[in-house]
Amino acid sequence: MIAFAGTGRLVRLVVRRDRMRLSLWLVLLGVIIVSSAASLPPVYPDQADIDNYVELFGDNPALVAFAGPGYGFDDPNLGVILVNETQLWACVGVALMSIFLLTRHTRAEEDVERAEHIRSAPVGRHAPTAAAIVVVASANLALAVVCAAGFIALGYQVAGSLALAGSFVAVGWVFTGVTAVSAQLASSARGTLGLAAAVLGASFVLRAVGDIGDNALRWLSPIGWAQSVRAFAEEAWWALAACLVASIALLLVATWLTTHRDLGSGILPQRLGSPVASPGLRRPLGLAMRLQRGAVVGWLAGMFLTGVVYGSIGNDVEQMIEDNPTYADFLAQLEGASITDSFFTTSFTMLALLSGGFAISSALRLRAEEGAGRVEPLLAGSLSRTTWALSHLTITLVGTVLVVAAAGLGVGAAHAVTTGDAAQVPRLAGAALATVPGVLVLSAIAVLLFGWLPRAALATWAALGVAVVVGILGELLRLPDWSRSLSPFHHVPALPAEDVAWLPLALLLALAGAIAAAGLVGFSRRDLRTA
Amino acid sequence: MSTAISCSGLVKTFGPLRALDGLDLEIATGEVHGFLGPNGAGKTVTMRVLLGLLRANSGSVTLLGGDPWADAVDLHRRLAYVPGDTNLWPNLTGGEVIDILGDLRGGLDPHRRADLVERFDLDPRKKSRTYSKGNRQKVALVAALASDAELLILDEPTSGLDPLMEAVFQDCILAARDEGRTVMLSSHILAEVERLCDRVTIIRQGRTVQSGTLSELRHLTRTTISATTREPSDSLEHLAGVHDVRHSDGQITFDVDSDALDPVVRALAELGVHSLTSHPPTLEELFLRHYGDELADLDVAPPVDPGARSDEATRS
Repeated sequence: MIAFAGTGRLVRLVVRRDRMRLSLWLVLLGVIIVSSAASLPPVYPDQADIDNYVELFGDNPALVAFAGPGYGFDDPNLGVILVNETQLWACVGVALMSIFLLTRHTRAEEDVERAEHIRSAPVGRHAPTAAAIVVVASANLALAVVCAAGFIALGYQVAGSLALAGSFVAVGWVFTGVTAVSAQLASSARGTLGLAAAVLGASFVLRAVGDIGDNALRWLSPIGWAQSVRAFAEEAWWALAACLVASIALLLVATWLTTHRDLGSGILPQRLGSPVASPGLRRPLGLAMRLQRGAVVGWLAGMFLTGVVYGSIGNDVEQMIEDNPTYADFLAQLEGASITDSFFTTSFTMLALLSGGFAISSALRLRAEEGAGRVEPLLAGSLSRTTWALSHLTITLVGTVLVVAAAGLGVGAAHAVTTGDAAQVPRLAGAALATVPGVLVLSAIAVLLFGWLPRAALATWAALGVAVVVGILGELLRLPDWSRSLSPFHHVPALPAEDVAWLPLALLLALAGAIAAAGLVGFSRRDLRTA
Repeated sequence: MSTAISCSGLVKTFGPLRALDGLDLEIATGEVHGFLGPNGAGKTVTMRVLLGLLRANSGSVTLLGGDPWADAVDLHRRLAYVPGDTNLWPNLTGGEVIDILGDLRGGLDPHRRADLVERFDLDPRKKSRTYSKGNRQKVALVAALASDAELLILDEPTSGLDPLMEAVFQDCILAARDEGRTVMLSSHILAEVERLCDRVTIIRQGRTVQSGTLSELRHLTRTTISATTREPSDSLEHLAGVHDVRHSDGQITFDVDSDALDPVVRALAELGVHSLTSHPPTLEELFLRHYGDELADLDVAPPVDPGARSDEATRS
């Protein structure tokens, strides 16, 4: 047990370092999951509503891919809807939480050479990893307890509630193990995140294909195992045991690998790169493109898929609202437009808010580069501050257009497939682009804060939060009209339900340009701030 | 002689902290100038002001005849900078970073680049995230030294380098001086400064405490003398200007103020000298004298015979 000496103290260190981060993950995931559970009973008050839901969602392959296999749909209850609505995304959420937190406290510590301080102390070889695993596994368990308690308090059956919450913790633990192994194989935190995320992506796709085809592929996915617990549909508890066995096996593998590599190195060989910079990379724009390339590609793929989800249900929306009018509250209330087009207008607002995540993080790259001390050597060369900032903001601008267009293409493509009308692709992709000026206002706010209040630049996310609250929940919360005009998306023409109006788009673009320009003026006048 | 860098009365505050408090600095064109001071004295802040990364609150600064804040971009074509803590883009290779930084200084001489990469024993194909601190430092050094910059601003450039690489670095700096380039070198390695620098400036708490050639600075302080004598040497202890007397194995060692050297040597001769060594104060001794009161506050004893080893090494 000497190899685990000091684990207890290190657990306290991890908790102390991450008390905010852990709380945020738990509160965020807990609130989203439990509030989804709370939102269902009013929408599906009696068995007829539940039956309607199952009828609509039961055999749409896109929904099966993004919701789950629909265990219990042959004899549905409200719990089955809860599983269909929350299980898959909660599992992805806890998996991401486990991947990020465990990487942060294992491989990332080695990257910055902090692990050496710890390992040079009287601390066992496995103690740092063990401490991180204890904390992450406990976080998963705590989340599951909160969710189970929430479900039961909301009146869901006890056994089903426990099984559903158990599936969260099961997936969380498996991915804790997956990340622990990845941290041994990869030679950097980035590589660890990439490996573990690839396993998560493969797990998602394998079970999606397996669920759609109702075949054995789903058994290759830990998420598939967790779903097979059949919460609220004659629970099969062995599925959770399978996850537990898998996570223990993964931890044993990680432990074995730890003893077969040096601190700071990885099992997988490190790939070598180019010894010289290509001509493109030597220009500021080329450098910015290289630095943001990964994020842009990831967002393009993610937003396209999300668009597909929205597009695939467009054709069913009319039927859904006929069956259950409470849905109408979620949609933009637009006169003279078809319900389907109103749904797409609402979808584009949602997708625009998501794209805001890209636009803001891309613009905040300025601050990240500055804080990490990587701008200093550039600006000590013959590069002006404005040129440098514009190189990154060009990527933000072009990336935002592409990301929004990808989402629109996803919606259009899926809708075209379900309706057999290819003209929907350009129509809906074009409609999505109308939200771009609104998204750009968000990145402009990031630039403004970066220029004048660099330490508060992260507050830009609060602007996105305001846009989400007034844009999505405004109708439900009956917020006053003036508050909704705070969101840039309130001023975007409601395409495709309404006709295009160029003036507001031009004004929003001008506003974004002016705000960003003001931010750049601030940046050119202030001290550079590292860290 | 023209001036490459000139600061006077430079003040830079960060909130209540006065990082620079009336700093003066003169660096002549073509010299290697040592810039010394303890941690937190303001060395890095001074360099950042000189690079136009920070804006001074008051005082005047001239760099290569221009204003480092207003003319930053034009001036930066003529200089190269190596930060004390080199942060590189983790997903780019060392070679890519060298080229990116080099191109911002008007491009690198490919032969010199290849030569430096080889001499510093750097693998330019590796991703920056895999480099140790020393290797990151080498990337920044190659990018700076392979350029044609007429001014090199180096902030503790050898921290993290092993002694072999340190020697390569020193050769490069001496070569740069022979080419007529100006070098501003902040360093904690005093032997390095003694070997390389024509003049040094010592700063403390944002102010210049001393500036000049090493011999000028030495003149202001004490020479160390060790001797064995025929007669007992106890009488020397009471002479004016003699400090810090130590006896061991019949040998007496003490420090003498420069202006008291003549009477002390006469008194020593009276005692019948068997053996005698004397050496001027090392930079380390100068340094410790300036910070001696700080060390006393910290209750740290200065070393008994600081720098004697490096002194012999550099003078042989």
